Amino acid sequence: MKYEDTKEFIYEELLPRVEKPGRYIGTELNTIHKDIGSVDIRFAFCFPDVYEVGMSHLGMKILYHLLNDQPDIFCERVFAPWPDMEREMRKNGIKLFGLESRDYIDSFDFVGFTLQYEMSYTNIVNMLDLAGIPIRSGERNENHPFIIAGGPCAFNPEPLYDIVDFFMLGEGEEQLIETMEAYRKWKSSGGTRDEFLNMAAEIRGIYVPKFYDVEYNEDASIRSIKPMREGIPGKIKKRVIKDLKGSYFPDKIVVPFIDIVHDRIMLEIFRGCTRGCRFCQAGMIYRPIREREVEELMEIADKLIKSSGYEEISLSSLSTSDFSKLQELVERLVSKYQSRRIGLSLPSLRIDSFSLKLVQEVQKVRKSGLTFAPEAGTQRMRDVINKGVDEEDLINSVGAAFETGYSNVKLYFMIGLPTETMEDIQGIADLAFKVVDRYYRVPKEKRGKGLNVTVSASSFVPKPFTPFQWEPQDSIETLIEKQRYLRKAIKRKQITFNWHEPYVSYMEAAFARGDRRLCDVLIAAWKLGCKFDGWDQYFKFDAWMQAFKEAGVDPDFYTIRRREMDEILPWDHIDVGVNKKYLRSEYKKSLKAELTRDCRTACTGCGINLLQEGGVCK
Amino acid sequence: MNIRLKFTKGSEVKYISHLDLMRVFQRALRRGDIPISYSSGFNPHQEISFGAPLSLGVTSNAEYVDLKLADAMDIQEIINRLNSSLPEGIRILRGIKLGDSPKSAMSIVTHAKYRITMDIENAAPEMVQKSIETFIARESIIIMKEQPKKGFTLKETEIRPMIISMNLIESGKNKCVIECLLLSGSRGNLKPELLMKAFKEYTGYNVGKIRINREEVYAEKKGRLVDLFEVQRGTF
Repeated sequence: MKYEDTKEFIYEELLPRVEKPGRYIGTELNTIHKDIGSVDIRFAFCFPDVYEVGMSHLGMKILYHLLNDQPDIFCERVFAPWPDMEREMRKNGIKLFGLESRDYIDSFDFVGFTLQYEMSYTNIVNMLDLAGIPIRSGERNENHPFIIAGGPCAFNPEPLYDIVDFFMLGEGEEQLIETMEAYRKWKSSGGTRDEFLNMAAEIRGIYVPKFYDVEYNEDASIRSIKPMREGIPGKIKKRVIKDLKGSYFPDKIVVPFIDIVHDRIMLEIFRGCTRGCRFCQAGMIYRPIREREVEELMEIADKLIKSSGYEEISLSSLSTSDFSKLQELVERLVSKYQSRRIGLSLPSLRIDSFSLKLVQEVQKVRKSGLTFAPEAGTQRMRDVINKGVDEEDLINSVGAAFETGYSNVKLYFMIGLPTETMEDIQGIADLAFKVVDRYYRVPKEKRGKGLNVTVSASSFVPKPFTPFQWEPQDSIETLIEKQRYLRKAIKRKQITFNWHEPYVSYMEAAFARGDRRLCDVLIAAWKLGCKFDGWDQYFKFDAWMQAFKEAGVDPDFYTIRRREMDEILPWDHIDVGVNKKYLRSEYKKSLKAELTRDCRTACTGCGINLLQEGGVCK
Repeated sequence: MNIRLKFTKGSEVKYISHLDLMRVFQRALRRGDIPISYSSGFNPHQEISFGAPLSLGVTSNAEYVDLKLADAMDIQEIINRLNSSLPEGIRILRGIKLGDSPKSAMSIVTHAKYRITMDIENAAPEMVQKSIETFIARESIIIMKEQPKKGFTLKETEIRPMIISMNLIESGKNKCVIECLLLSGSRGNLKPELLMKAFKEYTGYNVGKIRINREEVYAEKKGRLVDLFEVQRGTF
């Protein structure tokens, strides 16, 4: 068996042996391939999960093309190889490679990870190991790439502090380019690794954990987080693109050969959210709200359809209904693309009649199920979390949907919310029954056949930078008890009940609000075989508990412990714009089930407008 | 307007499954702005159908796809547009117009010809030639075959009747090329990988680095094997 090189060996010998070789081909439509001799900076953009998940992520699509638009940079994609591929790679001495060139990434300049959820952290460790790159930053030298990370979980970077060289906080478009510019200067100056980290730390939004010292109190809480060098900011401010108008958006996107989770054009209509749901981290960390203009969106959509051939456009944002020109945008997209059989989907819609009309407008091309997210079962509970919808909204909306022939409805809830009682759990079942009853009030000849109401209940995980950041998570036992209760209460043949494993939510909670001590736990868990923790078939709770034990860390300290309001939190040196005073006041209001208005109507004083000179709110 | 196109599936796309290939064509048709016809019904889909499926990892010079167009368009224009919108590795070679309700490419294929290139350690050409002769001189060749729909349990399968011919057409030091004609259709379907598995087992050769290319697929017309363009001649 003679092969020219490892690239040919991978393609001809390894790929036929693995499931879905299409994950590792690297020549999908609109991928970028560059002559290695003509580039100065090689960048491995890593998504620490399987291809189908990573390729569905909008941020990666944007940044991939943004970097490759720079002639001297070659950015390639890397995903976590599925365990069958990993086995073949390790068996044959093949290291982790960039999909486009099939070159090993240990010789690249940057290895960047996007942090989308906590349960992908073991995959980061595993990917570094598979790449032959030392896991801890202190073990790396001038011959290794810089390991960097960004994305929503980077706002609490501490559990990865000893692995990642530096974090990029907030939106990446501008700071990535600035970082590359600094790197060019550093590279030509022939400086040391530390010198580049110093340069990076001067870029707004960049956090270099080794430049900060954390001290602890005797009760294991944090005493202080302080910069150890001159000129390093005490608080690291996240980056935001001030105006989306004219900001970078690629005119082509990679079109995968194999089916992925979101296989369509994602048209980003705005960033941020003004609703202020108190459980929602995205609603706080992505502030302020910034919309793209309809005209520009039409142009982007046109270019993307021409270059991809996709048959569907999905409007992407945290809350589609809140886009101020939604009606105009939808009408224009539908009238332009309907005859060409290009469908439009509107995820994240709010429960109201206006939204429903839009959905009906849109689904002239394709008709699918409808999804609603009441989040909680009783009005009191919905007021606690500031989800400003009531039962009437929901029943009216599903009623209108049933009248027009829909018979498939999904309802999303959370259990384990602060102040929750069994009455609130019963409320979930009651609400689902009311939805079922509403269906049977539609005359038989008018309604669609075969009602199916899917009720999904996930376990609440308190997140940093939300009003619930001080709250304990429900214990695993309590969550199981609530799930059991609900499963029994909700049993009806028209209702399908889904729930999440509370063990996974428990680990997620530990890492979401974890500090530096969790880094050792993470590496220990990986050594015990943990990876793909977001996948039920690979999640090993016992191994995780073992890892906590080995590292001498108590997971309950991070999960089910109530934090003091004046306690120093592990992410207190990170500034997302929304300040602690606002979060405290929101927390207090939640306990009284008091609502806070949508801040589009009038400012609620979260602090985001002070993040940048000149203000950022419109 | 119904048309049939013949295309290649090169090494760049050899790991693309039949189902994935469908999506590749759907999107290429849209990028090329070709007036494909849509089926009626709840979920309308483009009217595209492929000939005999190709195994993952196998390349081909002779894949066929039938398209139904909503409006007439010059065939050369269609070929040009598709060739600029399809990914590398897929090239449209030729096209013909079909009648109004043609039999699908899938339904008429009965045979397929493959070219198999492989490394065989320590085997002189004469020896390989002899092995092939002995191999196909058998009345029965039984091989254990995985059944994907039955949990990959193994089942004894008789493959000899599905091998029409097998010839050594090129050989060098440790390397040889075999061409074979196999049944491929509803009356019998032998995948070349399974043939090679049997060949390895029966000869005991240490075979590596096998590359398989489909050279042509055939339909029967008046007792003769003809390609999927020839079979249409004179039918409309």
